[in-house]
Amino acid sequence: MRRFLLPLILLALFIGESIFVQITPHDLLGSEKIAVPRFLMAGLLFLTIFGSKKHGILYGLLFGLLFDIVYVEIIGIYLFLFPLIAFITTKLMKILQMNIAMASIIVLLGITLLEAGVYQMNLLIHHTDMDFAAFLSSRLVPTLILNVIFIILAVYPLKRLFEKFEASLND
Amino acid sequence: MPQFFLNKRLIILLVSIIILVALIGFSLKERENLTWPEQFLKDTTGFIQNAVSSPVNYVAGFFENVEDLQNTYKENKELKKRLDELARLESEVQRLKKDNTELREILDKKDSLSEFEPKQATVIGRNPDRWHELLIINKGKNAGIEPNMAVITSKGLIGKVKSSNTFTSTVQLLSSMDPTNRISAEIQAKDQSFFGLIEGYDDKTGYLLLKRIPYDAKVEKGQNVITSGLGGVFPKSLPIGKVVDVVPDEFGLTQTAYVKPGADFYDIGHVMVVKRGALQPELMEMVDEKEEEL
Repeated sequence: MRRFLLPLILLALFIGESIFVQITPHDLLGSEKIAVPRFLMAGLLFLTIFGSKKHGILYGLLFGLLFDIVYVEIIGIYLFLFPLIAFITTKLMKILQMNIAMASIIVLLGITLLEAGVYQMNLLIHHTDMDFAAFLSSRLVPTLILNVIFIILAVYPLKRLFEKFEASLND
Repeated sequence: MPQFFLNKRLIILLVSIIILVALIGFSLKERENLTWPEQFLKDTTGFIQNAVSSPVNYVAGFFENVEDLQNTYKENKELKKRLDELARLESEVQRLKKDNTELREILDKKDSLSEFEPKQATVIGRNPDRWHELLIINKGKNAGIEPNMAVITSKGLIGKVKSSNTFTSTVQLLSSMDPTNRISAEIQAKDQSFFGLIEGYDDKTGYLLLKRIPYDAKVEKGQNVITSGLGGVFPKSLPIGKVVDVVPDEFGLTQTAYVKPGADFYDIGHVMVVKRGALQPELMEMVDEKEEEL
């Protein structure tokens, strides 16, 4: 049972994003503001930080592919960005001291990178013509506010869970 | 130079960028349908989403009902006023329908562009990143849903089927930024109608852009916009919205109208997928012989 717990939690976050968007009103943080739930990214980065680095990147690859196929129908965007940001996080962990506050800030940084990366890719394939200033005010800021709330709620349970997972790996 | 190639990480990064570009290119090209591993994954996750979303919708629906109860008195008053008008309208519709079928029989014209066959479906997922406005619905090829069918709610057109798998399908909303997302539309003026194409969506105002209306068309605010059925895919007379504003385009040769969509693109629970009754023309049939020779 313990072996399936980790993929199940990540799958719940994956489906939770879609359900969250469906049941909350679209102008949650004001009209014209788009707050994107990045629960899965936060979960993957917490796994990388508190659990195992290897598993963080591996699950990033797996769920990136799933995200692309199921939600976006353009394969490559999240498949590339999820593991890349997990990898950057492993590099940052070597420099910085890890405690809960630092980890939360790093996860927030990861979400910022993800949003900017997805925006750039969409700009590249002409799926949007939003300029950078509009992106900052109408997307990035609301997204960060929403995800800060999620991180505050989820950081303790996820930390305990992933540390247990890492301990079970070492057994 | 040899050191450069020995750097394993750099090579991994370069190779993955090449794969990334290839994959994006592969998925951006016009595809009739998704490959079977994609369809399998979508169906499997669709199954889980279906199982999760029905209890969630039930709970969300309960809260919505409680909210509705607060407005009941006011709504009831308003509705009673409209009820009298409805009875008159109903009898008129009845009479017109009868007239229509009789006249059609006389003309011996059987299929009409406006005929369609609706199929009910429930929304089980939505793209969370909102760059690509896609919905996932719980009916697929099994229920006869095919790509490019129109998708409506009770209030109007919301989009088209982008791809269909065995048990689920993906719906692309009108608000999605996609240059291939074009719909032939008709503005209903007093005694004539003007035609144009719905091309694009204004993110800031939430209006659809109805382009290529003839420059001399007298389009006014508040006129209804419906699908024209001339695109060969959608049936005729699905409601789209109302004209809000008309401006001449940049060269003054045509006009562009801003259309306020009748349907809400966010609060969508149940949709109808519309199968056109009239035959869909093949592309080859529409191409003129002479053009082919060229």
